[in-house]
Amino acid sequence: MRILFFAQLKDATGCDSVEIAPASPLNAEQLWAELLKQFPKLGAHRSSVRMAKNCEYAVADAIFAADDEVALIPPVSGG
Amino acid sequence: MEIEIQLVHEPIPERISPVVVARASRPPGKDQNLTGETPVPLLTGAWLEFRGIVRGEENGQTISALEYEAYPEMAEREIRRILESLRTKHPCQAVKVIHRIGIIPVGETAIYVGVASAHRGEGIALLAEFMDRLKQDVPIWKRRGIPFKIVEDDVRSLSPSVRKSEPPQVGSYKSLDEALAELRSRCQPLPAVRAPLDDAVGHVLREMVSAPSDLPDCDRSTRDGYAILLNDNSEIFQVVDTLHAADWKPRELKTGQAVRIATGAPLPCGNARVVMQENVERTGDRIKILKRESALNIRQRSEDVRAGQPLVQAGARLDAGKLALLATAGCAQPLVSPRLRVVHFTTGDEIIPPDQAPKPGQVRDSNSILIRGLLQNFPCALVHAHLPEDFEKAKRVVSALNPQLLATPKHGEGGSTFDLLLVSGGASVGEKDFTHPLLEWLGFEIVFSQVNVRPGRPLIFGTNGKSVAFGLPGNPLSHFVCFQLFVATAVARLVDREAPAFERGQLAAKLDDEANPRETLWPARWDATGLHPLKWSSSGDITCLAEANALVRVPANRGSIEAGAEVDFLPTTDMMGGD
Repeated sequence: MRILFFAQLKDATGCDSVEIAPASPLNAEQLWAELLKQFPKLGAHRSSVRMAKNCEYAVADAIFAADDEVALIPPVSGG
Repeated sequence: MEIEIQLVHEPIPERISPVVVARASRPPGKDQNLTGETPVPLLTGAWLEFRGIVRGEENGQTISALEYEAYPEMAEREIRRILESLRTKHPCQAVKVIHRIGIIPVGETAIYVGVASAHRGEGIALLAEFMDRLKQDVPIWKRRGIPFKIVEDDVRSLSPSVRKSEPPQVGSYKSLDEALAELRSRCQPLPAVRAPLDDAVGHVLREMVSAPSDLPDCDRSTRDGYAILLNDNSEIFQVVDTLHAADWKPRELKTGQAVRIATGAPLPCGNARVVMQENVERTGDRIKILKRESALNIRQRSEDVRAGQPLVQAGARLDAGKLALLATAGCAQPLVSPRLRVVHFTTGDEIIPPDQAPKPGQVRDSNSILIRGLLQNFPCALVHAHLPEDFEKAKRVVSALNPQLLATPKHGEGGSTFDLLLVSGGASVGEKDFTHPLLEWLGFEIVFSQVNVRPGRPLIFGTNGKSVAFGLPGNPLSHFVCFQLFVATAVARLVDREAPAFERGQLAAKLDDEANPRETLWPARWDATGLHPLKWSSSGDITCLAEANALVRVPANRGSIEAGAEVDFLPTTDMMGGD
């Protein structure tokens, strides 16, 4: 499962993406737990980050599978 | 509703054609022509455009550019999703959205939206709501503002669209030619020293070296064979001696006599020739010549060089070939220019090492490696240090470096511990720019601090006895140009070599520029087909550093120069230039 980081999250994690290989599909809560283990600094951003699955905003009860592309979207500022 | 979405890195064009919908989709009906299409008149009554432009201020800080980041695949999907969701509420005919990402200078367009609709009402409403929704949902970010200070000297030439007319002030600047002339007169050659050949690689020769004797010093054979008298037509010869390359056995040869001789061996006497062993049949100590050829197979005495003939001129850079020649001539300790002792200070708190990720406002240091690379193949000892922005702290760092290093007396008394000082950044007139006071603190007399050329303003030049110092602009392209132009000239003088000079060449492509009151040095790629101007829109533009090997001189107020025109240009070397 590929997790993409954007904007200030790149600073928090020190990278722009990471591959994780969970044993089974995860819900959002579990995915966050997994990421916080590796990147504790992400915790500070959690409340303002939206998750996207395969280029669409994920619903609250979304399940993330091994072949999904997940993105952590901090508050946007386009235009 | 037709939807077109683009995410681009390059500037959004000033003019974009409206999308005009000429045809409504209708099911086939009685108005059909033979092909099944239903021709209908123009339906668009309103065309609206919005451009979001980068402002010069972000979070209270003056900036020169904004850097945008995007998640491209999702950004495009989100934009489309938003437009689709609005089409029923505000039915329009066509929408075109272009969002630029990457670094966008102040004044340039970050987002363009064009809407075609039957009437203005729905067009205006769609545009407004679309922008609101984009700013909430589309994964594009203003990542950081580039502070005004980074592009410290050429803010006005950031991009053609924000260039303003400059105040004249010509009188307070030196012109390029004046500055170069000043450099040439102020920089005196360092005293020459004798160095063993091993240590003289790449140094500049300071004496003319001539051949001490003839080379070769005597006639020598070029073949393995037999030496006989020149006009000896005997058929059978008696071999009377054998000569190897190191032998020196002069003797008289009589008719019918031959001497076995190896390649390189001196001939036993004059008036001789050498017959190749392939053309000879030997039995015991007698030989029979099977084939006579016209070649003598001899290198004559002084054929290469006569005693006293000049071999290498003063001012030549001692490359491998010249060193070998000096060795042959027995010049084992040539008189050369000494190794340059160079000190390089980089300055600026926004500068971080190349291996770190920049925070907003920071940039990675490229000037250190640029200087190191440019001096790499040149005999010099280079010391580098990064100075903090606070002048007092900087002075402490400099003092702590190496007391010997900084024991340069004021204004020329006694010897100095370095020959060339380069300070990158901090040369301008901002509050934190301290190159000027730093150089004065080190005993330098400032000769000039501005040169009327673009890029390359400011430029500080000072002298202290035989040592010279330069304050170079911080941004990499200006830095590079100033080095190639000014520092290279000074260094050439210090080692008593020809300074780099402008040559004539031909433009292979048009040089697109706006007229500027300053002379411009335009980076270009020079190859067999001529000079190719490189794309450049600001002094901070460093991508052409990888390609540039020449600087084209564009006169003041000239503007564009057409392809095929003859121009002056400076080849930019890495100080490796041959003679």
